[in-house]
Amino acid sequence: MSWRGELNKVLSATYKNWIISKRNVFTVFELIFWPFIGLLSIGLLTRFLEVGDDMVAFVLVGAIALSILQISQIDVAYILLFDLWSKSIKQTFVSPVRGYHLVLGAMLFGVIRGVAVFLVLAAASGHLFGFDFLAGGAVTVIVFLAGTFITSASIGMVVCISILLFGQRADVAAWTLSGIMMLVSGVYYPVSILPGPLQILSKSIPLTYLLEYYRSAYGYGSHQILLGMALALLYFFASLLILNLAIERARRTGMMLRLSE
Amino acid sequence: MRAEKICKSFRRLFKEKTVLFDISLSIEEGEVFGILGPNGAGKTTLMSIFSTLIRPDKGSLEVLGRDALRDTHAIRERINISSGNPNFPWSLTVRENLRHSAMLYGLYGRRLYRSVDDAISAFELGPQSDAKFETLSTGQKQRVSLAKSILNRPQILFLDEPTSGLDPEMAMKTRDLIKKIYQEEEITVVLTTHYMPEAEELCDRIAFLREGRLAALGTPKELKRALQIGHRITIEYQGVIDPVRLRIIPGVMEVRELSGRVEMVFDHSGRTFSTIIKAFGEADILDIEIEQPDLEDVFLELAR
Repeated sequence: MSWRGELNKVLSATYKNWIISKRNVFTVFELIFWPFIGLLSIGLLTRFLEVGDDMVAFVLVGAIALSILQISQIDVAYILLFDLWSKSIKQTFVSPVRGYHLVLGAMLFGVIRGVAVFLVLAAASGHLFGFDFLAGGAVTVIVFLAGTFITSASIGMVVCISILLFGQRADVAAWTLSGIMMLVSGVYYPVSILPGPLQILSKSIPLTYLLEYYRSAYGYGSHQILLGMALALLYFFASLLILNLAIERARRTGMMLRLSE
Repeated sequence: MRAEKICKSFRRLFKEKTVLFDISLSIEEGEVFGILGPNGAGKTTLMSIFSTLIRPDKGSLEVLGRDALRDTHAIRERINISSGNPNFPWSLTVRENLRHSAMLYGLYGRRLYRSVDDAISAFELGPQSDAKFETLSTGQKQRVSLAKSILNRPQILFLDEPTSGLDPEMAMKTRDLIKKIYQEEEITVVLTTHYMPEAEELCDRIAFLREGRLAALGTPKELKRALQIGHRITIEYQGVIDPVRLRIIPGVMEVRELSGRVEMVFDHSGRTFSTIIKAFGEADILDIEIEQPDLEDVFLELAR
């Protein structure tokens, strides 16, 4: 198979996600409405509490990160979700694609949508709350976004793995995992206020380090971005490996057939 | 393609159900091979194993000279499947779905667009090419599935009930197209069907499955002979005959006497027919009707 053939296998997931998203009226809600409402609520709360600019930056970084994470992870989860809802999973898995083709293709579309959300929210937060998202420089933003996209892909893959292992009802994971991330990775508060066991858990989540890194540009303590990126990459490759194993398991157990019925 | 002692069980909660027991068969290159059997016989499961969608629990499978349990990706490049009651992403149009499928098979550039156009035209999907999948009729969806199955010019084509849901005209066209594809492209076709005339028309050989086991395997002619399913003859006559003389004729399997009419089942090979006629002696034969056995009879016999 030529490199162009391989590239098209990757782009097949991008193409499908793009077509389905452009036909779906809720895409506007996913891309603009919900992220904007989230940002506005948090921003207005900071006004009500009369916190300083540094604290506004702290929570707005969290709100933006969460929105990007949610949008990008769902795009990777859509690898299976769209097929699951239309009962067409076997069409994908009788073809000669591998897990990484689907993940990379969906991730590409997730990155495009994630960047769009970031730009919308950054512009809105600058205009409404005077937040300068480029205060730490372009490199900080790029590293932060790259880490968030890699983490999102891992979460999306965990959703796919759950569906392949436990069946259709596991699709609820698509919306719950990012909620758990929000709780333990210090999206709206420093992880130091979490109870002991949750603090330990937070140290194993890349998003914690990514948030610390971005916030450090606004004067919030130190960061361990290398550890965060290493964890993000470790989880990414581990998820990819487990996804492939889950696909093989679904072929053995017949789950692949049941998901298409 | 060669399958050796294929077994498959499915587990749900704490129950395990075996759906295929020791299936061994081989399918020759360029042949049209039918898998028949009643509902729940294991046809779709066997088809899914052959097309590498699912894995068997035991046994070995060789497809296109490769080990289908190891070289699955290389095999998937060279095969394709069209399943009954097909589904594709609903909000994609016919053309978009075919384009997406072509991309999954690694097609690109002009070949991708040409394959999609050819598939659309082969299955007369032109008027629906910009319609969303969810708006199509059952027959149109079936045609999309068939169109998808020829995109990568497969060497083995798996067709799971290819004409289900099609109107008689389209079903006939589809059968003609299947014939054309395997004759022109010299590909191997493996199909399941409930429609016996279709199997008889298309298949070189047939495997009958019953309760997960291979009940019979052979050409339609061989199966009819092996099961001793004879021709049915109805003779209307005037005069007197001796039914006992008919019953003792070698090759006569069944005799039913009605007023002025005799119905018999007999083995058409040999001289049975002329002996039957002679047995009517002085009686006048008014009418003779002979019915050939078809696969429907074989199916009913095997499904019993």
